Formats: sequence, structure tokens, C-alpha cells
Amino acid sequence: MADVKLSNIKKSYGDTPVLHGIDLDIKHGEFVVLVGASGCGKSTLLRLIAGLEDISSGELHIGDQQVNALAPAQRGIAMVFQSYALYPHMTVFKNMSYGLKIAGKGKDFIDAKVREAARILHIDHLLERLPRELSGGQRQRVAIGRAIVRDPNVFLFDEPLSNLDAALRVKTRVEIGKLHKELGATIIYVTHDQVEAMTLGDKIVVMNQGRVEQCGSPLELYQHPATRFVGGFIGSPKMNFIDGKVAALGGDHIEIQLSNGCRSRACVEAGDLKVGDPVTLGVRPEHIDERSDAGTMLSGDVTLVERLGEASFIYLTLSDGTEIVVRGSGESTVTTSEHIKVSFAPHNAHVFDSNDRALRRLKAGNVHSTAELAQLKAVGQEAF
Amino acid sequence: MISLPGLKHNTGKTLMTHAVLLTYTVIALFPILVIIVNAFKSRKAIFKDPLALPSLDSFSLAGFEQVLGRADFGLYFGNSMIVTLISLFFVLLFGAMAAWALTEYKFRGNLFLAVLIAMGIMIPIRLGTVSILNLMASLDLVNTLTALVLVYIAQGLPLAVFILSEFIRQVPKELKEAARCDNVSEYKIFFTIILPLIRPAMATVAVFTMIPIWNDLWFPLILAPGESTQTITLGVQQFIGQYVTDWNAVLSSLTLAIVPVLVLYVIFSRQLIRGLTSGAVK
Amino acid sequence: MSQPSSIQRRFPWHILFFLAPGLLIYVTFSVYPLLDTLWLGLFQEDETGQRFFAGISNYKTLLLDAAWSEPFWNALWNNTKFFLIHMLVQNPIGLFLAALLSSPRLRLSNTYRTLIFMPTMLSVVIIGFVWQLLLSPIWGISEGFLYSIGLGQYFDAWLGKESSALITLALISVWQFVGIPMMLIYAAMLSIPDDLIDASVVDGSSAWQTFWHVKLPLILPTIGMVSILTFVANFNAFELIYAVKGALAGPNFSTDIMGTLFYRTFFGFQLQSGSITMGAAVATLMFLIILVGVMLYLFVVQRRMKRFQL
Repeated sequence: MADVKLSNIKKSYGDTPVLHGIDLDIKHGEFVVLVGASGCGKSTLLRLIAGLEDISSGELHIGDQQVNALAPAQRGIAMVFQSYALYPHMTVFKNMSYGLKIAGKGKDFIDAKVREAARILHIDHLLERLPRELSGGQRQRVAIGRAIVRDPNVFLFDEPLSNLDAALRVKTRVEIGKLHKELGATIIYVTHDQVEAMTLGDKIVVMNQGRVEQCGSPLELYQHPATRFVGGFIGSPKMNFIDGKVAALGGDHIEIQLSNGCRSRACVEAGDLKVGDPVTLGVRPEHIDERSDAGTMLSGDVTLVERLGEASFIYLTLSDGTEIVVRGSGESTVTTSEHIKVSFAPHNAHVFDSNDRALRRLKAGNVHSTAELAQLKAVGQEAF
Repeated sequence: MISLPGLKHNTGKTLMTHAVLLTYTVIALFPILVIIVNAFKSRKAIFKDPLALPSLDSFSLAGFEQVLGRADFGLYFGNSMIVTLISLFFVLLFGAMAAWALTEYKFRGNLFLAVLIAMGIMIPIRLGTVSILNLMASLDLVNTLTALVLVYIAQGLPLAVFILSEFIRQVPKELKEAARCDNVSEYKIFFTIILPLIRPAMATVAVFTMIPIWNDLWFPLILAPGESTQTITLGVQQFIGQYVTDWNAVLSSLTLAIVPVLVLYVIFSRQLIRGLTSGAVK
Repeated sequence: MSQPSSIQRRFPWHILFFLAPGLLIYVTFSVYPLLDTLWLGLFQEDETGQRFFAGISNYKTLLLDAAWSEPFWNALWNNTKFFLIHMLVQNPIGLFLAALLSSPRLRLSNTYRTLIFMPTMLSVVIIGFVWQLLLSPIWGISEGFLYSIGLGQYFDAWLGKESSALITLALISVWQFVGIPMMLIYAAMLSIPDDLIDASVVDGSSAWQTFWHVKLPLILPTIGMVSILTFVANFNAFELIYAVKGALAGPNFSTDIMGTLFYRTFFGFQLQSGSITMGAAVATLMFLIILVGVMLYLFVVQRRMKRFQL
């Protein structure tokens, strides 16, 4: 068993702090994705876990051992690098066996291990080639193979898909997902791509400026972003934000006077908000309906329509200049410079206070499974 | 808790690294410093305590007075400057022009010329000295700085062409094509577009060209040994050969030869080392 | 390149303009003298100074006549020793310093580099005199220094003894030029991606194993290049010996190398007058030695050591 536990991990370079106390619990077998914009500290955190950099303060446990002072090779981890970092002068076989050779393993053992990993990854026929004779996708597999042969308790992936082209990225993503099931090992995976994070992770850790913004399952992050940052980061196109002020407090909702003059209802706990407090309303493009006129109405000029086939992204400028995106149907007939009205339901609204912290949502808040969400969506659509 | 064992381990290693590098730095600098320091001492002090810094007692500029009185170091220095700068200018100009012609235009004999010039990087020009002296004698150029300049241009060109070609190849095609579409002449393309673009490479070439010229003894000794055309390297060599027992004078003349170079080096070391490590030389 | 056909049909004056000045000087003062030297080596002069074609007789004299061949083989052997000392001392030290300098996040790395490279900037002649003074038994500074660290009894007039003069001179040259392999190897080490080093650390290799299994194989091409540069420079060396020991390369020719032999043959020395044609013959042999070294490097060494795409 190899749970990974981070307690108040801090890292600074000289006087510049880059990580401000990270707490994280990772269970054995979990696929955890660290996601965030570049420079948020996610890669640094991965390197601390790997042991490639010293932890400034805090404790790191892998299994039941405190590993702060252990060398990378003693931590039971293996790492797949963004650049693959294959040794250019060694064949695929030697690349994969190097770690075992250093560890002083027998020839037969090494041979069996490497061939087993090569079989899993379908690279048996490449073992005698040099890295430069391989395609990007094949190099990627070798890099993963090099990690597998070491039988690690924890796999660390540092943006492993960013050097692949779009088609191969999707394919490899699926394969990494399958591999996780097959190996049953713990995986910590760093990416800046929220789609990768959503599709792969059992648990997603959203990082921002050296702090964990939120940690949870993909759906939790989608439905209950804890901060405005997470709300904007997860989901594509991005969540729309409209400034406003609290106009009234109800029992199961609050009313918000939006900057464009509209008044909106949002099903959230009021907490200690008072009437008049500034807030930001967030609503996802896919939760705004271009036809219905139930719920909160927004009207604006269409500045651009992107037609993707299965959907259309309609870019609207509201009367106060706020720009929002609406995910309309693929057959939408809306055209540029038209003035249209769109609407969203109060239970789909997110509200963030002046500190950018989210208020607890009441309706979608109890929805946890995909089935329930789908059901709710269906009901919602019927209602409009 | 802080990972003390790990940190301690690294600190020890870092200390060792610094100790070794510092030791070697001392080995590299100490001999030069000893010479410079002793040049400012009286003869007695030089022998009594060579490692001491000059004190009020032992301070003396006698050596420098002798050197400047007996040999025209100003002239030697000027000769070296003239030869080095003029050679450098033409190596850069002609080198860039030739590099441009060889990389940009396809013509018969292109490859042959490229190989011919590349040979010059590895085969030292010195091996042709016998004929060079004959040639200079028949051109009536012996004991002129012109002879040195011509030889140094020939010596510096191959490496300059090689390095500059690498850089010219990296200039985006679109730039040249856009210019040609605007009917800009080939001459203008080179002088107004290419030359400014390869300026960083020019700095690298300048370093590689300048140092061997400034420090050369062979060609000044053979082509221009006359009193009025001596370069600083030759001048110091001749002077020391003559006054080998006059320690003050010897130390002072060495110091006069060393200090200007060191001052220039300290000023330009950043560019120089960037040039050396830029990977332009493969 | 792709040019309008109207320009291609006209004579390409612009190519001539760009190529002519550099090529003219290069061919006149480098290529022609070199070829002329090879040609001159096949001539001899009689007492009246009349030159006549003599075939390979100069080379026969040089390689077979004891009066000539002894100095020649002596110089060649000394030069080989001079080169081997550089290979065995200068380049390993350069490699070692480069490895230290490239340690991650090393402070003052630039300062060390700049200072260690400093002697390389100075003229060989100046360096020769500097060490001649420092090692002089008259001044006694080295002796005093050795006594102060308890090694005084080992001091000797190294530059004056037949057995040690060449080695001492080679070490002086090593001291001066160690900065060059250091810089080139350092640059090569910097170009190794950090990820690769990290990968090998994760794979469990120690600093030494990483160096041996990962860094060294990747900088082998640079070491090959450093070696051939050392070879050409060493077999072309002259200044240091001339400055410290004079054209006679004493004591008793124990420090004579190809460069000094060439100089003496060409210009003559006390007992023997110089000979242009004999000098040309020596230069030709030096040319062949360097050519063989360069060819060996280009076709054997470099071909085996493929540059790895990093």
C-alpha cells in the first residue's frame, strides 16, 4: 500500500516562496491530477514528491515512511517527463533497463521485466532502436515503459501529452487511463489542460499561485467550484462572470442586481452576506439557453457566432459591456449583430463573494452522481 | 520539520565543489599576480620577500622607468592595436561577404570553395611561412604592418566564414524573399538586412580572431622584426631577451604586456564567454 | 537560390563582389603559400643559390641522413610527448572543472569560469617568461613556496634539466590552456537537458553514475573535437619553447619540437645556415602529420561518435 500524504509542504527558492503549505491526501490506487496555469507550482510540487528538489518545510509520506530526506530512487516512485527524457545514446531496451541495472538486478530479471513492460505497451518490436528513430508517440510509450519496469508504488507524470499532436494526445490519454486500471498503481499527474484533468482524474487538485484552490472529484469541481478561479478554470468555454450587488436575501436563494441592470435569482446559501455586498455571478455557457425565456433574462448584441456543428458558441455583449458566451444548439439561426435574449435557471447560477469564494449552491449541491445530474438536466430542460 | 540529512549532504558537496574551484582559480591567477605585484617593488624586496605586497619601503617604479626609457612600448602597443583592429575589420567584412555568397547563391564551384576554406580551419597558415616570406619580399612588404595585416586576414577568414555561415543559414528565407519581391538589390539585402542580423555572431568571431592575432609571435618575428614595426608581443620578447638579468625591467615589461589585456578581458569577458559557449563552434 | 531567370542569365556580378575580396586574400596568403611550400620541398639550392628540382631527396636526407634524421625524430618524439601530456593532463582537468562548473545552481560559477580562463587570454610568450621567472632558482619563489608546504626537497631547476624541461614546458602550456577544453566541455554539458539528468536521478544513479553513463557519452563528440584541436595546436606549437628556451630548444635539444625545428631549419642557427627548401620540406612533413590527424578524426573518430539529437 502506498498512500501519499503531504502535510503543510512549503518550498521557496531563496526568499521567493513558490509553494505555501500544501496539504494533500492521496489514497493507494488513486489517479490524482494536479492542474493549474503555468507557474502555479504544480510541476514544482511533483518534483518535490519525486525528490528532485528539497522540501523547504513540511512532511511528505509515501506509504508509512517519511521520505523528505530519501533519494528519488528510494521513494518507490517513477517519473514520466514532459520531454520524455530518453537517453539519446541508449537503445529502447537500455533506456528501460537502466534503472534496474543501476539497482544491481540480474540480467534475466531485467530482461523479463523489460519484455513484460514492452508487451503491455506494444513496443516489443522497438527494443533495439535508438530514441531518435522513434515517433513522438513511440517515445512516449518508452518513457512510460521505463517507469513501469521499476514497479513503483507511485507513478509521477509531468505533462506527458503536451508534446504530442492533438489526435495522438486523445488516443494516448485513453491509453493512460486504461493503463491505470491495469496496473492499479497510484498516479500523480500534472497538466495545464483541464480536459485531461477532467477525463483522467479520480481526484483533481486545482492549484493557483502556489496554493491548492480546490481538491475534489471532477464533478465536484464542475458543480461546486470553491473559488472563482476554479469556476473559470474548469469547463470550456469558460464560465461567464457578471458583476452585481446583493439586492435581497431569500430563504433558499439570494437576489442579485446585475451590472447590466437585470435582476437575477441564484439558489445559494447567503452565508453572512448582507444586502448591498458586491458579488460576482457565474454561469456556464452550457447553462444559458438561447431560446427559453424562463429564469434570469439577459439581452445583448451578438458579436460572433462560432459553429461547431453539434453546438454553436454565441458571443454576446451585454448593455454594460460585459461579454458572455452562450452555448446554443448546433442548428441555432442567430447571426452576428442581432440583438437577442437568453436566459438561465437560478439553480445553475454560481455566486462568488468579494473574496472570490463561492457561496454554497443549494440545488445542484446535492447532486453527486452523473445519473442524477443527467436527470436534473432533463427535468430542467422540460421546465423551460 | 526540515529534511536535515538531505540538506547537509548537499551543503557538504557544494562546499567541496567551491573548495576545488577556488583552489584551481588560485592556481590560475597566482602566478600572474606574483609578477604584477613584484613589478612595483625594489630589486631588494623582489628577492627578499617575493610574496609580500609592496610596502612604503619597498615600493618602486624603477622597472617601469627603465622599460619606458629603453624601449618604445607605446609604439609597440600602437602597432599591435593597428594590426589587430584592421585585420579584425576585414576578417569580419570579407568573412561575412564570403559566407553570404557561399550559403545564399548556388553556382559552379560552390562546394569546392567551401571545402577549400574549411581546410583553413584545421591546417595552420604557419606551415606556408617559407613562401609567405618569399611573397612578401617580392611585394616589398617585409617589415611593414601591411604584411602582418594581410596574413592575419588570411588566417582569420576560414573560421569566420564557417561560424557566420551557420548564422546566415538561420536567417528566415521570408526576409530575403520579401526584399527581393520589393526589388531590393542583392547588395542592399546583404548590407542592410543580413549584416545587422548576424551582429551577435560577429562578436563571437571577433573574439576568436582577435586573441591569436594580438598574442602572435611567429609572424611579427619573421615578417616584421624591424624596430618600428614590432608588435607588443615581439617587443616584450626582444626586450626581455636583452635585459634578462634586470629583474625590475623584466617584471615591469611583463606587467605592461599583461595588464591591458586583463583590463580588456575583464570588461568584455561576459561577451567573450558567451561567444565561446554559444555553440557556434561545433 | 530561386532568382528571376533574367538575373540568372546575366553574369552574376554580385556573387563575384561578395566572394572576391576574401577569397583573393585567402588564396594569395594562405592556400598558395601552402601549396608553394609543398612544391618547394622538392627543390634544392646549389652554392650559387640556383634552385633545381631534386625530387624527394630532401625527404631522404631528412628521414635517413643521421645528421638530419636524428633531430627530426627527436623533435617528432618530443612533440608527441608534448601532445600526450596535454591529452592526459589538460583535457581531463578541463573535463573535471567543466563537470564541477555545471553543477546545478552553483553560485559564482561565472566568476570561476572567467578567472580560470584568464591565462588563456595572455600571449604564450608572456606566459613563458612568467613561468621562467617563477621557476628560476635565482629568484627562488617556487622553492620557497614548496618549502612552506613541506615539499622543499623536491625543488629542482626543472626547466634547466634535460629530463624534466619538456614535461615542465608541457605543464606550463597545460596550465595556460586548460580553459579551452573547460569552456567547450562546459558548453556541451549545459546543452544536456535537465530532464535527462533528473531522469537518471529518478532511475537511481549516483552523481558519478550519471556522469559516467549519461553525461560522458553525450559529450564525447565535444571531447573528440577538443582532442583534435589540441593535436593541431600542439603540432603547430612554437612560441612557448622559443620564448623560454630559444630556437635551440635546450638543454641539448631536449625540448625541440616540430615548430622549433622548422624555424631553425628555415632560418638557420649558430652552426648551420638556413635553407628555404629544407625548411619547406620540414613544413611539408608537419603538414602531413596534421593532415593525417585531421583525417583520422574526420573519418574515423567523428563518424563513430554520432551527435545525439538532444
